[in-house]
Amino acid sequence: MSAEEWEKVLWKTQSYPDNHIPARYFLASLRKNPNFRPYTYWPLVLASCAITQHLATIYIFLAVFVRLKECSLDPRILVWITVACFIGGYLAWELLNCSRSDTARRNANGTKTLKSSILVFLALMALSPVLKTLTAATSSDSIWALSAFLFMLNALLADYSPAKLGGQVRERLTSVLSMNAAISSSVVLGSRLSDGLAVFALILFSVQAFALFPMLRQRLQATLTIFQALLTLLLSLLSICLTASLSATVSCIYAATLVAVTFVAPGILVWAQKYKNEIRGPWDVAVPKVN
Amino acid sequence: MDPLSIAMITDFFHPNVGGVENHIFMLSANLLRKGHKVIVITHSHDPDRVGIRWMLPSLKVYYLPYPTIASSATLPNYFTFLPYFRTIILREHITLIHAHASLSPLGQEGILHAHLMGVRTVFTDHSLFGFEDAASILTNKLLEAALKNVDAVICVSHIGRENTVLRGQLFEKTDEDPSTVAVSGNVFVIPNALVADQFKPSQIPDVSQPSSKPLCVTIVVISRLAYRKGIDLLVAAAPRICSAFPNVKFVIGGTGPKLNELLQMREKHLLQDRIELLGPVRHSDVRDVLVRGSIFLNTSLTESFGIAILEAACAGLYVVSTRVGGVPEILPEDMISFANPEEDDVFRAMSEAITIVSQGKHDPWNAHKRVKGFYDWFQVAERTEKVYESVIKSDQRDLWTRIRRTMELGPFAGLIYVVILIVNCVFFLILEWSIPREDLHFVWMHWNRDYFIELSQKEARKTSFI
Repeated sequence: MSAEEWEKVLWKTQSYPDNHIPARYFLASLRKNPNFRPYTYWPLVLASCAITQHLATIYIFLAVFVRLKECSLDPRILVWITVACFIGGYLAWELLNCSRSDTARRNANGTKTLKSSILVFLALMALSPVLKTLTAATSSDSIWALSAFLFMLNALLADYSPAKLGGQVRERLTSVLSMNAAISSSVVLGSRLSDGLAVFALILFSVQAFALFPMLRQRLQATLTIFQALLTLLLSLLSICLTASLSATVSCIYAATLVAVTFVAPGILVWAQKYKNEIRGPWDVAVPKVN
Repeated sequence: MDPLSIAMITDFFHPNVGGVENHIFMLSANLLRKGHKVIVITHSHDPDRVGIRWMLPSLKVYYLPYPTIASSATLPNYFTFLPYFRTIILREHITLIHAHASLSPLGQEGILHAHLMGVRTVFTDHSLFGFEDAASILTNKLLEAALKNVDAVICVSHIGRENTVLRGQLFEKTDEDPSTVAVSGNVFVIPNALVADQFKPSQIPDVSQPSSKPLCVTIVVISRLAYRKGIDLLVAAAPRICSAFPNVKFVIGGTGPKLNELLQMREKHLLQDRIELLGPVRHSDVRDVLVRGSIFLNTSLTESFGIAILEAACAGLYVVSTRVGGVPEILPEDMISFANPEEDDVFRAMSEAITIVSQGKHDPWNAHKRVKGFYDWFQVAERTEKVYESVIKSDQRDLWTRIRRTMELGPFAGLIYVVILIVNCVFFLILEWSIPREDLHFVWMHWNRDYFIELSQKEARKTSFI
């Protein structure tokens, strides 16, 4: 072996053989997990609360549907509950927004909201007889399968990220798709109900649960942790209670999924992090920095 | 060493043009000069390039009738190549195959089949790949499987070798201590080369006026206009350079998806008379474009070897390049200026280069002479020959060792590849029975260079009498 130092260059004819591997230079610029920030358990649990809330909403909706179908719930009561929830939710929304927008614009917004909510209310009322018979010709088996598929799509595509404070709410395509899936699902389920008022109540409730509530949820996510936890607990308990009187097995399954999503899945993610092995080196495609 | 019969196997070959294609052709030509027998096996090209063709100098090319799926690569199907492969290897009496490019399924399949006929394998990797996206993970696994049983691997740069070793997991258990692993000893670095005489600087050096300042500095860019070539940096930096140096012009050759952005930039900054877009440039015209300028700018975001930089340096241009991949290895520091892949830094490096060139500190002919001394295809062929020699001398792995090594791929991938390996052996036995070796048309006549020269001279004399 020659005394000449090996150099990492190609233009020079070196006295080392071509398969010489210099221990000092070889893979010296390899970096493993350079930008790796490990997740910790409790923040992950908190982040998964949004998913739990969404799943609980779906469960509550299904319980309400079954009760409507079995005529054990008066549709009028559901309408009143929905209206009460809407007013409560709207007040909460305004309360969260009050710090950042001026009074004049808020008043204008308020009138606009009132106008559009009355419009939606009346439109749904007018449409409910049509919606009731829309898929009446389709067999119930197909409807169950279709609505199950649509709810899965809804849960998969929903936007679980918290809203940015002060930023404009920008709808992503997937979250719009998610909302559409849920509304379609409730429309097809509505055709299984017996009278027009029940259909109206169900659709109104679904608009509430799948179009308006996710917006409020995203806004709440950006606020205090304790609200988040309380809301999650409330929705989960409500969904389980509503289902428990209908079927014990189903409520057990619901409880199991909610616990799995909230507590077990974050644990698995934290555990799986030890297998993370991100390799970076000079062969990576550089990211150009343009002013 | 004794002359070998070598088959180069790849999806990327003439009539396509590019770094890999040129590498294979030049390596084959120089191996032929050294007395070996070389053939190339590749896929067919539309409309009618299929079958056997001859290329100068006496290089036989088999174009197999396979349709391509994407970027001129065939479908990885593992078995369908075997009937052709067996026939070609047997009738040409091939003793060693040399597969090129990691994204060439034909090459990987060749490595898989070669052991059935007792043929040795060498693989050359030409490009760099990351590890993070799904496509890389998949192709890296395919490469790892192919390289488990290859006899030697050649990479074109030191960075390329580090990359290939990691991607192909080319580690072996050490003999002294079976618990530790080390990089296997059959991974070589042999760079590309270029034909220096094809890239001569333009004017004869003017000794009487060494400090004559060029009135206008022309910057040449020849590249595919794609994201990976860093055209975004060029689009951002070019107007700044133009406004800072009124005597600078750009000549940009090549085409690609980023062409529109260049055109828009030129229009927005009213630089139509200072930025010339040539469109696609043929490889034979590259030198004529290069010698129009005095600085070559390369803004690639990743580069395994950067043959374009070498060609420009050889044609006497001062080179400015981003510091990526294998580029820092190919030229000494005083012939090239580096910039980080940032707009500001490219501008800084270009300003320095323009100052150096306009002060006349860069001598094109000296640069040409130096590059000529660095790289030579004949040396590349000699170094490759040494790899072949070491492969031929080494022992061939038996089937059981192959199966055991393939199982190291993992419980899932390993099993799949063992099944492929065994089915392949059965398929080979069926072929041995259905197309017996006795019925093959063996090649006995080879291109005889001396006889060819003699004949052509005779022909020339005949015509001169008339």
